[in-house]
Amino acid sequence: MTGTVVGPERPSAVTARDLARATATRQRRGARFKIWAGALCTALVVLPVALAGLLPLPDANAQDLSQRRLPPLSGGHLFGTDQLGRDLLSRILHGGQVSLSVGVLAVLVSGLIGMAAGAAAGFFGGWVDALVSRFLEAQLALPLLMMLLLVVALFGPSITVITCVIAVAQWPEVARLTRSLVLVEREKPYVAAARVLGLRGWTVLARHVVPNVVRPVSLVVLLLIAQAVLLESALSFLGAGPQRPFATWGRIISDGQAYITTSWWLVTLPGLVIALLVVGVNLLGDGLRDRTRRRKGARA
Amino acid sequence: MTPTSPSAPPDRPPHESLTRRTLLRWSALGGAGLALGPLSACAGPTGAPGPGTLTLGLNRSLVSLDNKLNQFDAAVTVQRAVRQALTRIGPGMKPQLVLADRFTMSGPTAWSVRLREGVCYSDGSPVTVEDVATALTMYGKVNGSFILSLFPELPTVEKTGERTFTLHTKRPVPGLDGLMASIHITPAAANRPEELQSGVGSGPYQVARANSGAGEYTLARNPRYWGRAPHVDTVRVRFVPEESSRVIALRSGELDVVDTLTPDSAEQLTGLPGVALQETSGTRICQLFYNFRKKNPHPLADARVRRALSLAVDGGSLIRDVLTGSAEEARGVVPLALEGAVRTGEFAYDPGRARARLKALGADGLRIRIIWETGEFAADSSVMEAVADMFRDIGVRATLLEFEPGGDILKWRQGRGGDWDVIGNGFPGPTGQALTSLQGMYGGTPEKERTRDTYMGYVVPDVQRKLADAATETDDATRERKLAAVQHDIWDTWPMLWAFAPKTLLARRDRVHDLGLLKLNSYDLSAVRLEG
Repeated sequence: MTGTVVGPERPSAVTARDLARATATRQRRGARFKIWAGALCTALVVLPVALAGLLPLPDANAQDLSQRRLPPLSGGHLFGTDQLGRDLLSRILHGGQVSLSVGVLAVLVSGLIGMAAGAAAGFFGGWVDALVSRFLEAQLALPLLMMLLLVVALFGPSITVITCVIAVAQWPEVARLTRSLVLVEREKPYVAAARVLGLRGWTVLARHVVPNVVRPVSLVVLLLIAQAVLLESALSFLGAGPQRPFATWGRIISDGQAYITTSWWLVTLPGLVIALLVVGVNLLGDGLRDRTRRRKGARA
Repeated sequence: MTPTSPSAPPDRPPHESLTRRTLLRWSALGGAGLALGPLSACAGPTGAPGPGTLTLGLNRSLVSLDNKLNQFDAAVTVQRAVRQALTRIGPGMKPQLVLADRFTMSGPTAWSVRLREGVCYSDGSPVTVEDVATALTMYGKVNGSFILSLFPELPTVEKTGERTFTLHTKRPVPGLDGLMASIHITPAAANRPEELQSGVGSGPYQVARANSGAGEYTLARNPRYWGRAPHVDTVRVRFVPEESSRVIALRSGELDVVDTLTPDSAEQLTGLPGVALQETSGTRICQLFYNFRKKNPHPLADARVRRALSLAVDGGSLIRDVLTGSAEEARGVVPLALEGAVRTGEFAYDPGRARARLKALGADGLRIRIIWETGEFAADSSVMEAVADMFRDIGVRATLLEFEPGGDILKWRQGRGGDWDVIGNGFPGPTGQALTSLQGMYGGTPEKERTRDTYMGYVVPDVQRKLADAATETDDATRERKLAAVQHDIWDTWPMLWAFAPKTLLARRDRVHDLGLLKLNSYDLSAVRLEG
């Protein structure tokens, strides 16, 4: 058999322009754009929030009643001041620390719960699957915000309670995805091989199956951060957030709505920050998901 | 087979007019209609009141048109449009006759009353002496009633004729005619020792529709009203808890009147076309009141510590900057607008002295928990946060605990929910008399405290005795003197961290006329006229 050598000048109907316009190329470009734009938007919010303590900003709770509701870029306040003369930028950044901490912690906890429950349900099936699935469906059937408000009303509004409540609220999404991925994985030959080698069910699940589903699940968890931050803001807005004088994004907006027609910045600026973070995290998650798909396809 | 002409157009099947494309078009049109329908409703004011309808936006839910448990200022306006009392507090804080045409003190402990001739309920049945007697009995049986706390004792009724009776008390109650303005009269057979959710009244309006859960009512003219018919046909009462929503609804014309406005909302509405603001001094006192259930050796049990803490509060700045001049700093233990109120002192601001005094008293590094219910008074959250910050300046750490409306702050107030040090609370002056407010707040006894019916645990036997003495004094001049003395005594016990008397602010559309806003933050609904 003679090998064929393909020369560089081999004629092809596919031009470079066609390649550039191909769906795969467009998706790759789109994913790259989403990742960069998402990372930029997220960094614009997360970095200042994380470094709020190091930035030369006034104390978030330091009041100056004679400097109430100063508009942005006046009196040495970039974002202006609130109804008690506190620096709005400082409050947004310090409030972001509370909102983001609650969001990230809640998502980590819900990710762990969701992955453990979903993986067990998908791998073992039977009564474990029935139990987890029914519980999950029952929770999904409940109106989320109402449930959260009820729990906060019962246990009192503290950062710990709110974190736990959001974590418990978000586990079904992670569990459902994990379960479906594990259902696919458990039928693969490497799982059968591990069993033949005498590994126990839990060991196979933890050592071989879970590492294979962690990546897509972690992307969903990343997307849930945005949702958790929104939930925390909604709870604070409705008065079920951490007690005053803790600044949270929801409370800053809630307090500012009384001045919406005279001091637009009290509502608009924190709202923009929340929007920027949510859009950024979602774009980042979308981009990472699209990029992952491409790589998987290339390997196949 | 029927022959057809080749030139004639082919017969269309009957269903051809309804093609798939037509169906799609119709569906698209229908979908667009459904989608845009609600949007078009959003484009203009929703539920704008008709020409003969007056719409009121209340900031607190009116769960009942009975006032046995539910008497916040604005509610009085609506409740008295349906149910009436023997008297009412009119302009000048003087009692005026309503269902009674005679209400005179016939002896130190007896008042002679005559019901007005022809007064009847909306079902046509007459108002009787038995109805008055039953009303007093039912108010007396209600637990935790605010109204009850205003009475030194409830009078008993002795019928002396078809329309006449005598109100007897064990000890003299000089302001009984004003107090009876809070006792609403309902047919005896329908009255219960609870907030009534139904039943008829003798007022100018009757209930046409009610949704007490949502706090929404529609009142229609009472065709059998015994007095002069009201000018407005229909009154709609809506509960709009969000201040900003009330402001926007007033601006768009959806609401005609919004009461109990915050100064910031008033600022937003000032100068707007079609909107007018009304302001009057109020009879309500808003306080940051100490918890008097703290016993020795707790620092707050010491009046000197309480006084020292007050020095940390910059009242002038709170009035000027947070309340934007819409209130007056308290200079007495009750608002000076009340009859019989006297100036007893002033709150001073001196954080340096506060720090030094607290240190000298061994109370430095104190921790204070401040509680309040959202909406208790205008800009309440801002006031509390500002005070917490002022405490920080003198080394006192304050934690804030805010209760949402409908929460269990009542339990906390009674000392059954949890520990607290200072409460943000508003106390109205529904009778216009200082004596009533003083008794409601400072007339606590150990017996009342056993059932937690005192005002924040304030039980000072000397004050209570002097108040009771003043309350039973029939000579006006002597009563005034005694009342003034006891107010100074109360001030010396330093019951409040800080207090202010808010002005009553109300906004209305221009088409609303003759709205006579009283210092009590209520008005006579039957006198209101609508233009256009």
